[in-house]
Amino acid sequence: MHGKKRRLCTGSDKPMSSIRVDNLSIKFRLYHDRSPSLKDYFANLIRRNSQSAFSDFWAIRDVTFSLEAGDRVAIVGHNGAGKSTLLKALCRVYETSYGTVAASGRIAPLLEIGAGFHPEFTGRENIYLNGAILGYSKEQLRKIEPEVVAFAELEEFIDTPVKYYSTGMYMRLAFSLATAIHPDILILDEIFAGGDAAFKLKARQRMHDLIDKSDIMIMVSHDENLIKSFCNRVIWLDHGRLVADGPVDAVIDQYLMGRPNA
Amino acid sequence: MVNQFRTHIVEITKYRDVLVQLVRQQLILRYRRTALGYLWTLVNPLLMMSVMVIVFSTLFKVEMKTFAVFLLAGMIPWNFINAVTSQSAVAFIHNEGLIKKIYLPKLIFPLSIALALFIDSMLSFFALFAIILLIGGSLSWTLLFIPIAYVILFFFALGIGLITSVATVFFRDLQYVITIAMQGLFYLTPILYKKTALAGKITWIVDLNPVVPFIELFRAPLYGGALPEHSVIIQAVLISFFAMLIGFSIFAWQEKKIVYRL
Repeated sequence: MHGKKRRLCTGSDKPMSSIRVDNLSIKFRLYHDRSPSLKDYFANLIRRNSQSAFSDFWAIRDVTFSLEAGDRVAIVGHNGAGKSTLLKALCRVYETSYGTVAASGRIAPLLEIGAGFHPEFTGRENIYLNGAILGYSKEQLRKIEPEVVAFAELEEFIDTPVKYYSTGMYMRLAFSLATAIHPDILILDEIFAGGDAAFKLKARQRMHDLIDKSDIMIMVSHDENLIKSFCNRVIWLDHGRLVADGPVDAVIDQYLMGRPNA
Repeated sequence: MVNQFRTHIVEITKYRDVLVQLVRQQLILRYRRTALGYLWTLVNPLLMMSVMVIVFSTLFKVEMKTFAVFLLAGMIPWNFINAVTSQSAVAFIHNEGLIKKIYLPKLIFPLSIALALFIDSMLSFFALFAIILLIGGSLSWTLLFIPIAYVILFFFALGIGLITSVATVFFRDLQYVITIAMQGLFYLTPILYKKTALAGKITWIVDLNPVVPFIELFRAPLYGGALPEHSVIIQAVLISFFAMLIGFSIFAWQEKKIVYRL
């Protein structure tokens, strides 16, 4: 509208999505045995010099990168490197301690699908409850409801409380709902599983579709083949720091050898 | 401060579908799979109050009819304040799973609790009002004041709820302290007795009790058939305002730390 850059590849009217992360740091406070009680709090007020009951832990340390439309990024690193924390910071779940995260475009946080499902509610009620939490409007939900139910193959059970669902049924509904609307920015934390073989195939197809239509995709994965087939960029995190950021083959090789090129 | 308040209101309007769903969830869950369903909103306080009326009208040797109206009128605002205070205390704690997985404006949790209880309270008001009429209360035009009283009461309770919701995240012991404190406060509030009947050393405590004007706000029109005194209305509005001011300030100050402390 105001001379903003347009997406060239699709000719869509939407402005381009982007994510900028500047000097992002996230600090966790680890409490050694438990959450401090009122008693401890007042006790500590009185004896200022007593040993503190917590220590600080930097899950993300001074990370900077920016993503543009077309980027398909995999985040790699050892357990505890801060990968999931980074994804959650991008979705605004974790507030930044220092630095900034700026994103434009609709973000779909597919971190833990089924978050916000209520066991006492029926499948249909959960579509509306969880759908609202995922940021879908009521009109959108009314429109996608039949498709979600059909894709999850739950026509018979959609009015049963989800606490009576099997794990597979629960997963299918959560997956179908979370992937029903194409987001601009897709954030994935390894969710390529769930359901029986036939559903897995269908789900994979739907996932590919979602990735194809998104502007930006960011995923955490340990699966080298998956990364090579989906991504065009890899970010390697180690102990909260960004050690490498570049094309897939180069960074994966460094990562597998266990050291960044100096 | 005003700006911050506006930003939060704007954000909540953006997430109004989620707010509606959360309120609906609480209202539905409370009565789902019970034989009387929504009727429990009406039956529950009735049964409880009948017990109190029988016990205390005998104890105090007052006429049962008048005492019933007197008590019911005081219990309506008290029950609401009590429920909001104690349920808000677990507003964030019970939604830990959601808060750690997906971004939602934090204000939505205590606000949805206050709104759901507000609807509950209004429903039981109609039932209690029917009882008051049945046992010989009188209809008077002063009842038109009740909606205004409810608005003032709502903001008071929401302000207190904001304080307890944030405070319990940091000091878990408070959950239990609040329950006990509210029991004590009940007896320090002229609900079972008239304020004028109180003499002796503890009068000043009751004078300091911020809940007192809110009881009067409902009791004057329902029991006395008169509008509350101007001074009572002004007191209630001021207390409401300060409860909201303090509640919101504490909330805005600690909002970003909540996710790290759950």
